[in-house]
Amino acid sequence: MKNNVLMQLEKISKTYIMGEVTVEALKETSLDIFQGELLVILGPSGSGKSTMLNIMGGMDTTSSGRVIFGDEDLSRAGDSQLTRYRRNEVGFVFQFYNLIADLTARENVELAANLVENPLSTEEVLMEVGLESRMDHFPSQLSGGEQQRVSIARAAVKNPRLLLCDEPTGALDYQTGKLILGLLAKINRERGSTVVIVTHNTSIGEMANRVVRMRSGEITEIIENETTVSPERIEW
Amino acid sequence: MKALNKKLWRTIKSTKGQFLAVAAVVAVGISVYIAMSTAYLNLERSKEQLYRNYNFADYYFHVIKAPEQVTRQIEELPGVTAATGRIQKDVPILKEDVQRATARIISYPLPLEGEVNRFKLLSGRIFQEYPPGGGIEILAEPQYAAANNLTFNDKINIVAEEREVPLTLAGTAISPEFIYPIKDAASLLPDPRSFAIILMPQSQAQQILNLTGQINQVAVKLAPGADQEKIADQIESILEPYGNLASYPRKQQISNAMLQGELDSLQASSKFLPAIFLGIAVAIQFVMLGRMIKAQRMQIGVMKALGYNNLQIMLHYTGYAQVVALSGALLGSLLGLLLASAISQAYAQYFNLPETIGGVNARAIFLGFALSIGVGTLAGLFAARTVTVINPAESMRPEPPKGFGKIFIENWTWLWRKLSPTWKMSIRSAVRNKIRFGVSLLGVTFAVGMLVVAVFSNDSVDYMIDRHYFQEQHYDLLVRFSAPVKDGELLNIYRLEGVLKGEPVFEIPARITYHGRTEENLLTGVPPDLTLKKISGQREETLIPGDEGLLISQRTARKLGVKPGDTVTVETLLGIGPSRRAQIMVTGINSQMIGESSYLSINLANRILQERRLASGVMLSIQPGTEKSIEGRLNDMTEIASISSRQKELDNFNKNLESMIYSISIMIFFALVLGFAIVYNSSIISFAERKRELASLRVVGFSSAEVSGLLLEETLLQTVAGVALGLPFGLFMAKSYVQAISTDLFTMPVVVYPLTYFLSALGGTLFIITAHLLASRGVKKLDLVDVLKNRD
Repeated sequence: MKNNVLMQLEKISKTYIMGEVTVEALKETSLDIFQGELLVILGPSGSGKSTMLNIMGGMDTTSSGRVIFGDEDLSRAGDSQLTRYRRNEVGFVFQFYNLIADLTARENVELAANLVENPLSTEEVLMEVGLESRMDHFPSQLSGGEQQRVSIARAAVKNPRLLLCDEPTGALDYQTGKLILGLLAKINRERGSTVVIVTHNTSIGEMANRVVRMRSGEITEIIENETTVSPERIEW
Repeated sequence: MKALNKKLWRTIKSTKGQFLAVAAVVAVGISVYIAMSTAYLNLERSKEQLYRNYNFADYYFHVIKAPEQVTRQIEELPGVTAATGRIQKDVPILKEDVQRATARIISYPLPLEGEVNRFKLLSGRIFQEYPPGGGIEILAEPQYAAANNLTFNDKINIVAEEREVPLTLAGTAISPEFIYPIKDAASLLPDPRSFAIILMPQSQAQQILNLTGQINQVAVKLAPGADQEKIADQIESILEPYGNLASYPRKQQISNAMLQGELDSLQASSKFLPAIFLGIAVAIQFVMLGRMIKAQRMQIGVMKALGYNNLQIMLHYTGYAQVVALSGALLGSLLGLLLASAISQAYAQYFNLPETIGGVNARAIFLGFALSIGVGTLAGLFAARTVTVINPAESMRPEPPKGFGKIFIENWTWLWRKLSPTWKMSIRSAVRNKIRFGVSLLGVTFAVGMLVVAVFSNDSVDYMIDRHYFQEQHYDLLVRFSAPVKDGELLNIYRLEGVLKGEPVFEIPARITYHGRTEENLLTGVPPDLTLKKISGQREETLIPGDEGLLISQRTARKLGVKPGDTVTVETLLGIGPSRRAQIMVTGINSQMIGESSYLSINLANRILQERRLASGVMLSIQPGTEKSIEGRLNDMTEIASISSRQKELDNFNKNLESMIYSISIMIFFALVLGFAIVYNSSIISFAERKRELASLRVVGFSSAEVSGLLLEETLLQTVAGVALGLPFGLFMAKSYVQAISTDLFTMPVVVYPLTYFLSALGGTLFIITAHLLASRGVKKLDLVDVLKNRD
């Protein structure tokens, strides 16, 4: 697995200038992400984990350093190249779902499916996340867990190589959170998508192939798990 | 500065585009209000002043001729405060360039004191009854003098009683009678090159017109509250022996009627247009503030937690609307004053009211401010009332998504299935945000409607001109004689070089009576095989005057309540020979664009007068380019009273089009400001409300162009619906507008050509797209991370 690098972050830095204060969110951090792995990035608030995720997803740019995906240098990419990258390679799952309120579950997924050439079947993906009976409901008619499942389906339907999740369980209760993690693990296992989960919940690290710990914009530790724990058995 | 005021100021700064757009709408509304009401007040005030100071008559009586002393008898009637007997007669003017003009001679008994209808000297000096060097001194109405470049001591040659009489210009003067110097109701516009009003001493007028010791008109001033109709009947019976020709109250005096029509339409517009603009401004602000309050829900919660009460917070948001209103009113007042002086100057061209220009209407400005701030405050308070329901603790948590169900269109599954998810989003968003969508729709509807209104008058005038001068009038010249002639004499005219064809007409002023109601109207006798004129029915079909019937004019028919098949009594008022009466059956109702005349066969006209083969004029179709030479030859025949030329009337008309284009441009500009402001604001609001969704789309992989396209879809929905509603609404507004400005003398047809609809729709669409593009610049700048991380 290690021989198959999907993405390389080379000495990336990110500096925000907020008025007279300069915040260094990332300090020359490097990380390789391997094809098909499930990576969990752990760290407290302000450790730079979300910034790193956003850079991986082409939502944000670096101040310095290189971001290589395949043979593309994303750190030099323009808006249209980043859009193409997000469209074809990346799926995003957010803490607050960010579904389109005016579209039903099915239509939210179709919206993403319409963007790529060979999407998975919208209905199948919604069935996989257990929403076969809720397809024609609007976000406001769905519970938080159900909304997050729609959001996962929306990310997965494009069959992306990289699935990025920013605190996917942050707004959910314990049981529902475990269900969502199970879905992410399933997509990783069955579809072979590389899944990166950013969280401050250390227990989630047990389901990962690798755990990256961050603090103050730097990677402090990378742990490779010999065995992974299935999400159903994780406790927090 | 208090913290809340600082916050208000910063909110204004951060929304300056929207702020300016709404302020511009307010400014247009206020400027139109100030400009029009200022122009109205100036016009009305100087009219009233002139009427009062120069003793404008309340009633007019025309007779064939009566001794001067008859006025004393009239003055003795209770309710009559003054009566002035004088001469008024239209005579031809011989101009050096062989062109024809008509002079309306009005005589003034000397010395001038206390008579009805005094004049005001504008330049030069008052005429002398017997100038030392001999001759006749006159004053002229100023527009004629200006249009013909006449200065003092210039000569005006008229034809009176078949003699050429030179008159010497001593000065110019105006009077309440000819503020709007138009010849008669059949003239669409004043033509100062060919119509003069000439004021001269009574003794001179009597002499040149062979009326020594006689008058032919009495102008009467009545006591306030007197019974006009009763007194008019009494005066008519006094004048009966002298041949009553016509009598009418001030309301029907041509200059007053035209001026009043203009004043009425100005007053109507000064209320109608500002109401639209202020109404729209209120609606936009309502939606805008509503959105702002929703977006600042958490801040409001914090303010409440700190101890601000509902009223303080509501006033804070209302303050925004008030600042908009104040800025709009300030800008609007400045623009309004500029516009007012432009309007007044335009009026000064047509109306002899020199005091019209200038004059700042402080009351209008005050009302403008009060109105603007008043409605702004209302919009603010109304929008801010939602503040009260915000609970400080709840407001810190994200607002739950609105409860959505299916919308009605989804039941049409065959259609709904075909729509892309982005169209579904746009349509649902439109249906669910009814107020936001409704306000935008209303704005687009009004803007497109106003474009139609701005342009339609052009179509209507085109239509009128085309129908009157080309479809119905096939002659080039209409020659009128000073007195009726035998048709044999017409041969001399038909034989003139360049004349292709001639047909006689016999015009007889008449009084038509039906079931006790009476209207004065011109009867025009035409040959049965008429070809140089088309008489149109109400559906534009050709009517042929049979040997026995009367084709009565539409307006006279309406006023008398006459239908085809009814029999009316006709009494002639020719002024020459005895008055005759006849019963004639109405066989049809004719409709004319310009002028009012009832038609009958020329034989019948002769029979009514107990005459044979008489004509009062002739219609001529001529070879192109021969007009001047024919007019020159006709001028040698002194019995000719006037010659109207189609070409000259059209030229005069086209000259006047400039001012029309000016007002059309202003209307179009207003429509554009309105449409732009509304669509710009609604695009910005729509963008702000959907920022989060749009950012989600960007993350999923939509390009910024695709996201803009999505916003455009919603804008297009508004455009299509707005244009679809705006076009018929424009027609409706045009009809109401025409109804508001219709006078007894003049009705404009409402004609809108397809091109106008097309251009209005296109114009509407174009500025909508422009405003949309400006507003959707935000999509490019969308900070994805920022938007998606924060819950409002």
